[in-house]
Amino acid sequence: MKISRSWLQSYVDLASFPDDEISRAITFLGFEVEAVLHTGAPRLDSVFVGEVLTREKHPNADKLSVCSVDVGPQHGTKTIVCGAQNYKVGDRVPVALPGAVLPGNFEIKQSKIRGQSSDGMMCSGRELGVGEDHAGLLILTDRPAVGLPINEVLPSADTVFDIEVTPNRPDCLSHLGIARELAAFFKRELCYPEIRFTANSVSAGPVESELLHSVRVESQQDCPLYTAYSIAGVKIGPSPGWMQDRLRAIGLRPINNVVDVGNYVLHEYGQPVHTFDAANLRGRQIVVRPAGAGEAMTTLDGKERSMDPSMLVIADAERSVAVAGIMGGMDSGISDGTVDLVLEVAIFRRQSVRATSRRLGLSSDASYRYERGVDPHSLQEAAHRTLDLILDTAGGKVVGKLHRVGSDVPWQREILLHPEFVNERLGFPVPFEEMKASLESLELSITREETVFETNAVQWTVSIPSWRDDLDRPIDLVEEILRLHGTDRIPSAVVTSPGLLAEDDPLVIFNRKATEYLVGHDFHECVNYTLRSRKEQEDAGGAVEDLALSNPFVEDQSHLRASLIGGLLESLKLNQARGVVVSRLAEIGRTFLKEGGQLWECATVGFLVAEPVGERNWKSREFDDFYSIKHHLAAVASFAGIDLGRQPLTSVTSPESGWQPGHACVAGLLAHGWTASFGLLGLSAVKSLGIEGKVYAGVLAVLPEKISADTKRRRYKPLSIHPPALRDLAVVVDDSTASDEVRKALAKVAREAVGNAFQLESLQVFDVYKGQGVPEGKKSLAFSLVFRADGRTLTDDEVNGAFQKLQDRLAAIPGYVLRK
Amino acid sequence: MEQTLAALLSKAHSELSLLKSRVEFEAAKARFVGPNGELTALMKQMGAVPKEQRPAMGRLINEAKARLQTELEGALARIGEAEITAQLGPAIDPTLPSPDRGPGTYHPLTQVREEMCRILRKVGFAVADGPEVETEYTCFDALNTPADHPARDAQDTFYFPKQARFGNVSKHTPGERYLLRTHTSSVQIRTMLKGPPPIRIVSPGRVYRRDATDATHSANFHQLECLYVDRNVTVKDLKALLDYIFASLLGKDTKTRFRPHYFGYTEPSFEVDLSARHLPKVNKEWIEIGGCGMVDPIVFDGVGYDSKVWTGYAFGMGLERLAMLLFGIDDIRYFYQNDLRFLRQFA
Repeated sequence: MKISRSWLQSYVDLASFPDDEISRAITFLGFEVEAVLHTGAPRLDSVFVGEVLTREKHPNADKLSVCSVDVGPQHGTKTIVCGAQNYKVGDRVPVALPGAVLPGNFEIKQSKIRGQSSDGMMCSGRELGVGEDHAGLLILTDRPAVGLPINEVLPSADTVFDIEVTPNRPDCLSHLGIARELAAFFKRELCYPEIRFTANSVSAGPVESELLHSVRVESQQDCPLYTAYSIAGVKIGPSPGWMQDRLRAIGLRPINNVVDVGNYVLHEYGQPVHTFDAANLRGRQIVVRPAGAGEAMTTLDGKERSMDPSMLVIADAERSVAVAGIMGGMDSGISDGTVDLVLEVAIFRRQSVRATSRRLGLSSDASYRYERGVDPHSLQEAAHRTLDLILDTAGGKVVGKLHRVGSDVPWQREILLHPEFVNERLGFPVPFEEMKASLESLELSITREETVFETNAVQWTVSIPSWRDDLDRPIDLVEEILRLHGTDRIPSAVVTSPGLLAEDDPLVIFNRKATEYLVGHDFHECVNYTLRSRKEQEDAGGAVEDLALSNPFVEDQSHLRASLIGGLLESLKLNQARGVVVSRLAEIGRTFLKEGGQLWECATVGFLVAEPVGERNWKSREFDDFYSIKHHLAAVASFAGIDLGRQPLTSVTSPESGWQPGHACVAGLLAHGWTASFGLLGLSAVKSLGIEGKVYAGVLAVLPEKISADTKRRRYKPLSIHPPALRDLAVVVDDSTASDEVRKALAKVAREAVGNAFQLESLQVFDVYKGQGVPEGKKSLAFSLVFRADGRTLTDDEVNGAFQKLQDRLAAIPGYVLRK
Repeated sequence: MEQTLAALLSKAHSELSLLKSRVEFEAAKARFVGPNGELTALMKQMGAVPKEQRPAMGRLINEAKARLQTELEGALARIGEAEITAQLGPAIDPTLPSPDRGPGTYHPLTQVREEMCRILRKVGFAVADGPEVETEYTCFDALNTPADHPARDAQDTFYFPKQARFGNVSKHTPGERYLLRTHTSSVQIRTMLKGPPPIRIVSPGRVYRRDATDATHSANFHQLECLYVDRNVTVKDLKALLDYIFASLLGKDTKTRFRPHYFGYTEPSFEVDLSARHLPKVNKEWIEIGGCGMVDPIVFDGVGYDSKVWTGYAFGMGLERLAMLLFGIDDIRYFYQNDLRFLRQFA
């Protein structure tokens, strides 16, 4: 919103404050200053309106002319050399005479140009500081009187603050509102405009001659208060120069006196007003009603609007003439021939205006204010101000009935404030006298001061004016007092922090550990968008229908992600396309998986290891394989309390999964709190994305609520210092038998064989063999077993005995053959 | 005898110098000083030597034995050295680069997040987390955002269809819609609903706004919020926290200032400006960095805390914005492209 400095000056004397001080004051009152603009002409002494009498070519320069210019009786006719081309004899232009100082400290002197003396300079707009137009002289098309000082012709200099008003302060969407704040800030008096109109000023007349017979409001809820005034016999013409200057300064185009007054009052009081040409109100009536289905109207901006019954319109007996609170209709507005007016000053419900404005894609200064809230208790004052200004600028008289439909609930609000409470909340002392002065300066008057008997505390009764609907509780007044005290004066202090027995969320700890592990293993941590394309989720086997947003903003970000792999592949592809060799990427973030008919938000860790395509190295290193991926996944799973070694792993067989069948596996169930997949990504799927080389990947998704803090304190177990006994054995099984199945069977029979006599300390696969000596379709798995006893050295005999026993039992398992 | 010994020593010298391995060495050693060795054989002949010659002969033999022993030790040392040389291979060129992968990198957003969390943990804030899919209640209602507030509009907030169901995102009222959280303030609500005060948390996380992506806007971005609830928390305490945070982050000469502002869930509310030296690409004295305020009593009442007893403050800021300021990054999209040349700059 734009606020003109010279306009503010009408209500509060800020003349002694430079622009940047006012800007700072606005800022520290709580309104962001987005820009400070300068408009109009600065003070220009010795610059006058002149008329070009003759124009001759300069004898010594092709592009220059020598002109005689009439600068009025006081200064006479001057000879001026000019380089501009856009003027002709008879034009009136600004003329700077010797002694004038133009913006940029450019002093005009008597001079000689190519041998021709020049008594001054004819000026462009830019040279005068009134615009950027430098194409030529500023031609004064209104033909002001020759010899007039130029400042009487040009709009005067002004500073415009473009400020952002927070939604809690609709009272500040006006010059008076901002003036009130600045008056309080600078401790100056605020002068409201003088209102001359009273109900008694109305000329009564016969009812038949009334311009407006009736006002009917059909939607009381959306229009709680509607007032209308009739003004007869106006003369449409330009509004006064001072009003035009102010409107121009804040970016509005002057139209005519009546329309300009409406805009002026809106920006003065924040109360939207609207004027109709009474002749265009058919049936001399106003009906505030919902629009009919499909009802059409051409609004003042020239666009045809199709409406529906959710929208409120102002109508006459036959048709709608305005979209309530937003914009008037084209054919009911003021024209040059308008003689009689109907002035509307009303309150429309915020939500209704907002919804209509959204639906029509139509907003205006009026709708902006209605959406944020207009004070119904200031309505009458704004209405009377409008009438004053219309009568002043367009003549005419207020006639007939003053229509008023609806009512405003009488306003009264008081807040009981203990000034000590303010200091308790602030944490530093503000003197009570300062508090009082601050409240009073904002027109928050203290109507009563007393001492509460029980507590002996001082208590103030603070009366809240109608336009400060945002103030309701003592804490709200703390903010007012602090604003005027100055938020830049809050004293500095040290942080005091009593200890709390709180630890980081287990999910946070999990994420941190996983990130540290992966980065420690040379992965580059990535961050990808959570919202992704439908296709990517389909390709990854995600629950596409459930993942969809109801209102996506762009097509390729329409769905939640079901996996982190898609984003990582995109990052891989981007790097490859840019010629950057990349191998290890990881991301830690949320994914959304379906289970039991609903989606679950999962904490997810994903990583991929890609063949470093394009890498050249003087010494080659072996590339990772499935088992290195398994290692990483197991490590990450352990941070969530999952022991992957104890989990069943199922080989992927379906190519639709995105994984390469036979080279990837899945583990876990979301119903049990987690799920993982890892291995080689489908070769053709990866290739179809335009990615070169093999890509291994792993992804672990865990329900956040299943990750619990690991608070278990570990207990030490004594170690045996006696030597171990080592034995190896090999067992031949079907090629399709999982090694883990054999290992588990072996561990079981080994423990049985050892009993309580000593322990099987470890059991590991150390060889997998197929080929000569092993039948077709079979494989040999070799295990090493380590036995140890507490407190003594094992004898060969007891170990051999147990080893024989376990071999016998193992050999007895169908499909297992011991390899000799 | 003397000649025999000399010949023996000479032979031993030449043979031992040719030895290549420990096996050969052991065999050679046996040939000379083993039970059937040549020197041993000579020593056995001592019995046949006349008594008066024995001392001289004995001395000769001992000398020869000692020299032979030296030869053997020398040979063994040579073999040992040769073994080590063979084990080592050729000498390295220390200037060749390692063929191994370069180190991994933390994403700059993670680095900034973790740095903020470290700073805040030092003054007793624990890191909290919450879902990214949220409900209207947690994201808006509980934070005193009226139903018709523009931020709630489908124009600004991503919603899920009415029938959407999220198993682990609890709803407050059955009719409310699911959405993608627009700020991490929802974590404050969930934390307060979970347990009684006092509370001191920092909640970093991903948030969503229905915005066009450009150099300064992104469909999702990251925020970090602090919430402190206790008795007698004051505006001065809040200012002290902000001063502490930014002095920790940017040096002791860093200043912050508050400007009054408006947020529905705090009263009074402020915007926080920051003034620091050495920030790249910053040519203003004051830069807006976040918003804060004293928790509005309405919020406490809503989560069942007695607002007459409990007070608190909240502070929030954008992590991308902070990272952009700290590192001098001028386009938010770089954070989401994961170009290694970008990521490696922050290692």
